[in-house]
Amino acid sequence: MLVLSRRANQSIVIGNDVVVTVLEVRGDHVRLGIQAPRTVSVHREEVYAEIQRENRTAAAVTGDVVGSLPRPPR
Amino acid sequence: VLVRSERLGDLAVDDDKVLTFPEGLVGFPGDTRFVMIEIADDDAYRWLQSVDDPTLSFLTVIPWHFFPDYEPEIDALTQQELGLKVVTDAIVLCIVTIREGTPVPVTANLLGPLVVNTVSRVGRQIVLADSGYPARAGLVGA
Repeated sequence: MLVLSRRANQSIVIGNDVVVTVLEVRGDHVRLGIQAPRTVSVHREEVYAEIQRENRTAAAVTGDVVGSLPRPPR
Repeated sequence: VLVRSERLGDLAVDDDKVLTFPEGLVGFPGDTRFVMIEIADDDAYRWLQSVDDPTLSFLTVIPWHFFPDYEPEIDALTQQELGLKVVTDAIVLCIVTIREGTPVPVTANLLGPLVVNTVSRVGRQIVLADSGYPARAGLVGA
């Protein structure tokens, strides 16, 4: 992993069109500003990781599950 | 196209029924082609089977059967990527996870639903960050 030191109000550029700026540092809390084209999706890693974990668990489901699924309320 | 599925057996599927997820699903970026398989006598659930990996299938649910108030916001970028012009062209599916031995073993991922344009047959798993929707919403039967 590339490691860069930055201070508040300094930025890094990723590719041609993504700019990440350190807005504020307070203790262990860092606020980042992200400028990216609309075609680039930006997520907090933990949200992405949670969905990835659910997908992986779902893909590992085995056996005959259909017979025992909850039926929707009517 | 002949789709091989460990779970469902060999499936003969019309080419125009193949769905393309250009980015794959989260955590599965390489699997971009899926088919949606209905389950006999069942309106609520669908299988999503990878065309290219027989071992990869997901059980999904049409969320409104269980969560009538669910309102996933399909942002402008997603609408553009899917070529989605009218919202009625979209189908929304939530991936189902089963964890045996837990109090609510069957859950649906409302945080990261799949949105498919049924006309262009392009889909995407969207991330509803800050929506408050859970990744594990219990499916409780009638």
